[in-house]
Amino acid sequence: MNDFWTQALVGPLETLGKKLLALLPNVLAMVIILAVGLAAAWALGCLVERLLRVVGLDHLADRLGVNAALARGGVKTDPSRLAGRAVHWVVLIVAAMAGLGALNLQPVNQFAQSLLAYVPHLLTAAVILAVGYLLSNFSSQAVLIAAVNASLPPARLVAACSRWGVQLVAVAMALEQLGIAQHIVVVGFGLAFGGVVLAAALAFGLGARDLAKEFLERQFGRTEGQNKDDLTHL
Amino acid sequence: MSPAATPLTQETEASVRAIGEADVLVGIPSFNNAGTIGHVVRAVSAGLAKYFPAARAVLVNSDGGSSDGTPDVVARAGVDLGAMLISDRQSPLHKIITPYQGIPGKGSAFRTIFEIARRVNAKACAVVDSDLRSITPEWVELLIRPLLEEGYDYVAPYYLRHKYDGTITNSIAYPLTRALYGQRIRQPIGGDFGFSGRLAEHYLDQQVWESEVARFGIDIWMTTEAIASGARVCQSFLGAKIHNPKDPAADLSAMLVQVVGALFALMEEHHRVWAIMDGSNQVKLYGFQYEVGVEPVHVNVDRMIGHFRQGLADLEPIWRQMLAIETMEGLWPLHDCPLQAFRIPDELWARLVYDAAISYHRRVLPREHLLKALTPLYLGRTATFVLETQGLTSAEAEGRIETVCEAFERQKPYLLERWGKP
Repeated sequence: MNDFWTQALVGPLETLGKKLLALLPNVLAMVIILAVGLAAAWALGCLVERLLRVVGLDHLADRLGVNAALARGGVKTDPSRLAGRAVHWVVLIVAAMAGLGALNLQPVNQFAQSLLAYVPHLLTAAVILAVGYLLSNFSSQAVLIAAVNASLPPARLVAACSRWGVQLVAVAMALEQLGIAQHIVVVGFGLAFGGVVLAAALAFGLGARDLAKEFLERQFGRTEGQNKDDLTHL
Repeated sequence: MSPAATPLTQETEASVRAIGEADVLVGIPSFNNAGTIGHVVRAVSAGLAKYFPAARAVLVNSDGGSSDGTPDVVARAGVDLGAMLISDRQSPLHKIITPYQGIPGKGSAFRTIFEIARRVNAKACAVVDSDLRSITPEWVELLIRPLLEEGYDYVAPYYLRHKYDGTITNSIAYPLTRALYGQRIRQPIGGDFGFSGRLAEHYLDQQVWESEVARFGIDIWMTTEAIASGARVCQSFLGAKIHNPKDPAADLSAMLVQVVGALFALMEEHHRVWAIMDGSNQVKLYGFQYEVGVEPVHVNVDRMIGHFRQGLADLEPIWRQMLAIETMEGLWPLHDCPLQAFRIPDELWARLVYDAAISYHRRVLPREHLLKALTPLYLGRTATFVLETQGLTSAEAEGRIETVCEAFERQKPYLLERWGKP
């Protein structure tokens, strides 16, 4: 009976204990790496931010119009802080990878490697989203001004549609880059975009038929003599 | 560093060499103006023969690749000097018909004219539009003689215009140019100018020919550059300016982008010149002035005010970025006031234009967006002007424009104070 207990329970537990004991230095190393990485990320982030402030990056960016471009895109943070945060996160991700590597476990190593291989896709997706966001703000502003100058009553609606349209394209592209349900994203985007265009066409053609008629007449000068001004601007 | 010489075609080079030197040069930029340019060439030819019979004269047609036979019309156009009682023409008129090179636009056409003026060492030059229907031989004298006999470097046109003709000039270009540079040039974007050979050379030496100036904005650029370079400036009364309607595709916001964009860009370039300028001076006006009765014209003020109010409702976040808080507060009461009480006061309008110039300078918005977002504001101001001048003669309406200019001059310290601030 004693042999049975020794073989069935104590033996595996001893093996597990030995394995855990063997792993413990690795876990400890991972914790230390993560802790140091966290501290280094915080310190480097702050250092880079302060250093950039001291060398006057914000002032330079202001003169080059970068701050204005960021503000136009709805980003209120100054470039020094942005750079500091970027350094913080890069160091943190590198530390996390190094920490996982320190465990020296086959599955974890494979996971870390595949995660590392995924980083470029993540970065590309992030860039696509950021550019899409900035582009959507720029295009919606242009559309809003053009619609107001054309005296279109639903100017804000048209501008909002253009903003969401561009952002939808950016999200679809980012998801495709991340490899998430690629076909569903493409088909879903096609359906959604086609649906929006069709809905807009129907709404403008049927729901706002008079508005469309008035707008087109104004564009092609059919109402000449009724609303046309005789003053000349130049 | 001076920019490279403007390239001319071989044929034009040969013509320039054959002419040698000239006293007077008149340039006509064109693009598909076969219907009108013949009259312009005849008027210029007669003007040169009648008023400058002894001068070695050159007529340059700088064409943008017309497909309607414009150069042929220029080549054929001639005037019967006998019928005009001109018998003492001592020097033949040379004609150069040349395509211009570079970015398509009036600016590039002018560049070729300036280059030919430099090559033939012309003392006095003039440029006139090719779609003019009201040009007479007297225009040539009025644009050229002040240069040759009075020592001026630049002659701006002064047209007889209806009070509702040229509203961008009246509400922005004239008041702003006058307040900034201290010279009361009534038509800074007139289109027909006289200038000395020296000034033509100065124009050529500027590094602007690959910029927007080459496409449009050349008129205000020439006037501003002349004042800012310290050239002696005068005006000539040319009477009415009747020309073909402008391109209908060129809408109002595009016009504002061209004219106001050029004005604001020049403000950045000549900041040191206008920052020290205080008040404004009369500019000598040549020619016999007269007035004609005012014909009633149709202006849809309600539509303009409606446009302004839609802008106030929909573009408010954009206007908040480009205008000062006090300026926005001044606009809000106009949202609900009765139509007949609708007014954008002179001082508010001046501050508004200055705010826009400062925002353009600081690039708080994409520049084209900023300029286009001015359209409803400009229409609101035009509606104000129409409401204030209904029933007035053009001379009386001119008095109202004078008070707008004074408001721009009074508000200039506001511009100076805000311009340099971050």
